[in-house]
Amino acid sequence: MAKRKDLSIEFCGVKCENPFFLSSSPVGSNYDMCKKALESGWGGICYKTVGYWIPQECSPRFDATRKEGTPFVGFKNMEMISDKPTEKNLEMMAKLKRDYPDKVLIASIMGENEEEWTKLAKAVTETGADIIECNFSCPQMTTHSMGSDVGTNTELVEKYSAAVRRGTHLPVLAKMTPNITTMEISARAAIKGGATGIAAINTIKSITEVDLDNFTCLPIVNGKSSISGYSGKAVKPVALRFIAQMAKDQQLKGIPISGMGGIETWEDAVEFLLVGASNLQVTTSIMQYGYRIVEDMISGMSYWMEEKGINQLSDIVGAALPNIVPAENIERDFKVYPKYDHEKCIGCGRCYISCYDGGHQAIDWDGDKRKPMLNEEKCVGCGLCWIVCPVEKCVTPDKPKFHSFGTPRDINVIAKRL
Amino acid sequence: MKGKDYLSEAKKAYSPLNAIEEAARCLLCHDAPCSKACPAGTNPEKFIRSIRFRNVKGAVETIRTANILGAACARVCPYDKLCEEACSRTGIDRPIDIGGLQRYAMDFERASGMKVLEAPAAALEKVAVIGSGPAGLAAAAGLALKGYKVTVFEAREQAGGWLTYGIVPARLPQDVVDYEVQYVKDLGVEFRMNTRVGKDVTLAALEAEGFEAFCVTVGLQGSATLDIPGLALSGVTTAAAFLAEAKPSCGALQVPSDVVVVGGGDVAMDCATTAKELGAKKVTIVYRRTVEEMPANKAELEYANKLGVSILPSFKPVEVIGENGAVKAFKAVGLDWLDRNTSVEVPESSIQLKAGLVIQAIGQTAEDVSFAGLGANSKGLAAADAETGKTSIGNVFAAGDIVNGGKTVVEAVARGKASAEAIDAYLSSVRESKATDKEVAAQKEGVR
Ligand SMILES: Cc1cc2nc3c(=O)[nH]c(=O)nc-3n(C[C@H](O)[C@H](O)[C@H](O)COP(=O)(O)OP(=O)(O)OC[C@H]3O[C@@H](n4cnc5c(N)ncnc54)[C@H](O)[C@@H]3O)c2cc1C
Ligand SMILES: Cc1cc2nc3c(=O)[nH]c(=O)nc-3n(C[C@H](O)[C@H](O)[C@H](O)COP(=O)(O)O)c2cc1C
Ligand code: SF4
Repeated sequence: MAKRKDLSIEFCGVKCENPFFLSSSPVGSNYDMCKKALESGWGGICYKTVGYWIPQECSPRFDATRKEGTPFVGFKNMEMISDKPTEKNLEMMAKLKRDYPDKVLIASIMGENEEEWTKLAKAVTETGADIIECNFSCPQMTTHSMGSDVGTNTELVEKYSAAVRRGTHLPVLAKMTPNITTMEISARAAIKGGATGIAAINTIKSITEVDLDNFTCLPIVNGKSSISGYSGKAVKPVALRFIAQMAKDQQLKGIPISGMGGIETWEDAVEFLLVGASNLQVTTSIMQYGYRIVEDMISGMSYWMEEKGINQLSDIVGAALPNIVPAENIERDFKVYPKYDHEKCIGCGRCYISCYDGGHQAIDWDGDKRKPMLNEEKCVGCGLCWIVCPVEKCVTPDKPKFHSFGTPRDINVIAKRL
Repeated sequence: MKGKDYLSEAKKAYSPLNAIEEAARCLLCHDAPCSKACPAGTNPEKFIRSIRFRNVKGAVETIRTANILGAACARVCPYDKLCEEACSRTGIDRPIDIGGLQRYAMDFERASGMKVLEAPAAALEKVAVIGSGPAGLAAAAGLALKGYKVTVFEAREQAGGWLTYGIVPARLPQDVVDYEVQYVKDLGVEFRMNTRVGKDVTLAALEAEGFEAFCVTVGLQGSATLDIPGLALSGVTTAAAFLAEAKPSCGALQVPSDVVVVGGGDVAMDCATTAKELGAKKVTIVYRRTVEEMPANKAELEYANKLGVSILPSFKPVEVIGENGAVKAFKAVGLDWLDRNTSVEVPESSIQLKAGLVIQAIGQTAEDVSFAGLGANSKGLAAADAETGKTSIGNVFAAGDIVNGGKTVVEAVARGKASAEAIDAYLSSVRESKATDKEVAAQKEGVR
């Protein structure tokens, strides 16, 4: 029947049957869950963060950003690290590795001081885990000696990375917080301390919505709520940006990156690889749709590789980086006019409204025929019209017009993916 | 102009974004009821999810692997009674347009030239499939995929059974049928057209040619007729004859301005809409029972209504009136239904309709299967296992309408698939016992 491409890829020296892993969170927090996930096709698991400190969680603890007519696009959680006894977690990890020796197990840990970090590293190494991930990034810990308060402090990041290194021979990932302007600085500190690679991003501090009756944000826990971590499809742009910047950083060159933040489809997954990740982790879309989504990630990526003639995934890791350049390096000597396909046009006038109210008044509206007509004099080629048009391939970029100082040549612009 | 209407597909296709939007309405249920409701196991839960997560190729793979007539089924299945009836979303507003999404994936397959199924080299036994309708095509594909040498024998000029000679182009364009027949041919299945088994060639002759198993999928080709005076007049016809003439004519068939169709099923709707699309001014459906009891599916009934077809329920045909040997009018009398089985005539409601054509769409009758040595039940249907198609003769199997008395395309596909499995099991066991016999013989030889 259908042929499957080989999706295997090496990460931190560990061979992975595919790059799709659960990220550390409730989706991988006990043996039975992990078993079901691995049997659904996930290549590996980053087990829910374990520590010696056991949190007391609140209820309810989630909220979501909704947009008309779609499933939720962003997800807010107030959860901390695993609330199961440490011994129990270690036992389940060992059992997983014993029963699924060919799948990859990443042990996520969080300590409160150097001794704890070293001790945890030793303990999870003994379970047979393949990689250790240091959680420097949970934004809603009730103790400030842990979580993203650590991740924003480069000294602590370096010190704790070194403490973990002392406790293990395994590859070590430092999981970064996005609640920071420049992730490279913390990442360099982690590598300096002894980490092998970087995992990013953890959740973004957020208020998803404010309740208009109770005057606090959601979820409301007996009248009060907190700022806490945001994840899911809505954070993908932020995640891709942090990863691309680290992957382009000279001092971090060649450092393996595990990418996450909003991966839902095989296309999202490919994007993370293209900006430099060689391993992918997922939580929110699993919480939303279940482990089964990996089926279409595997199948979709495999068909894409076949279509593009790509035989191994490592070939595309970072392939987009050379084309992501500083703003000053973008060519600015031409503009691209929109083309309106009057056959496809359904006469809604949305392009006209947007161009008038949010653009350059460059569309003349033919009220009888209900059709947009371009006024080239006024059009600046911003492309707002083809972004707002609800009809596929109705408004598209046309030929470029070069400014007086420009050099005519072939131009390739794409501003909307179907 | 009328030809164009008749030939063009009535339902609009999805664009990629619209398809994803519709798929995003899917609740992605646990243990999805839609998938359980498809007789052929086309697995809507899985293919809708693939579309939703931007993997159309994965959707094509799921559909094609399960259903060799995925594109035809996408258009003609009575969803409202199958997967869409089971859809949980109905509890919120309306079911997912499963048929539309399936069609989207199948159109994508065709446009992109994607090939999911590949048959291994045909190294196994020769199998004859008799009849090239949905059941026959599904059986042939299933067997070819297992490596059998399959030949389909078809009495008519074109393959497809009722897909080609019955279901109207507005719902199922002929090029879709041809595409799927070609898919089956590409799996290495041979077709011998214009060959009626039992007449042009006997089963014994085929056995002599080396065919080791037979799958009888001859369907219901005859038409049931009314029992009223005037049926011999010219202009009185049956649904099967009318549609079989209309479809291959590509819309060129002339119809008179006044047409009466008798019956209340999908076939009656097809006749009525066809007559209308071919230019009839007034088309009236006369049906014995009430509108609620019409077996036609809702979408078809709505389509007929949209075209302006009138429906006269609870009327019983009385006589076809002619002039110079041709139909002139149709007479019917009202019925009052006391319960589902009892009715009384209402003479006050007698009606006479002008008619240039009277089409009887009251059911099909079974083909004679004695050529295959098979017994028939009281309805003339082949005596065979309803699931597997096994008959009293070891190497003869039967599937589709000829066994179930006429259900649906997807049901015929499901049974064709199942009989391919049963034939494989049968031939495999014959093969194994031959091998053991040989082994035993060789052992005996050795002992000697
Ligand atoms: C007008 C019409 C509309 C319909 N609409 C729908 C619909 O919308 N949706 C739906 O699901 N179902 C519909 N059906 C029902 C559906 O078409 C049938 O259930 C289905 O085609 C049965 O498939 P089959 O393979 O069993 O038989 P058929 O489709 O009848 O095919 C049997 C084939 O065997 C051939 N044959 C017969 N005898 C011999 C012989 N001795 N030797 C060689 N060949 C032989 C015949 O020529 C024919 O091609 C419709 C039926 C009709 C008549
Ligand atoms: C409910 C919830 C709990 C989480 N718990 C942890 C955790 O214990 N340790 C950790 O490193 N990250 C944790 N995360 C962060 C995720 O692992 C991941 O980094 C983030 O959600 C972005 O990926 P996503 O968009 O695929 O969910 C949690 C996320 C959620 C939604
Ligand atoms: S998802 Fe499960 S654990 Fe959470 S509130 Fe609902 S039932 Fe309880």
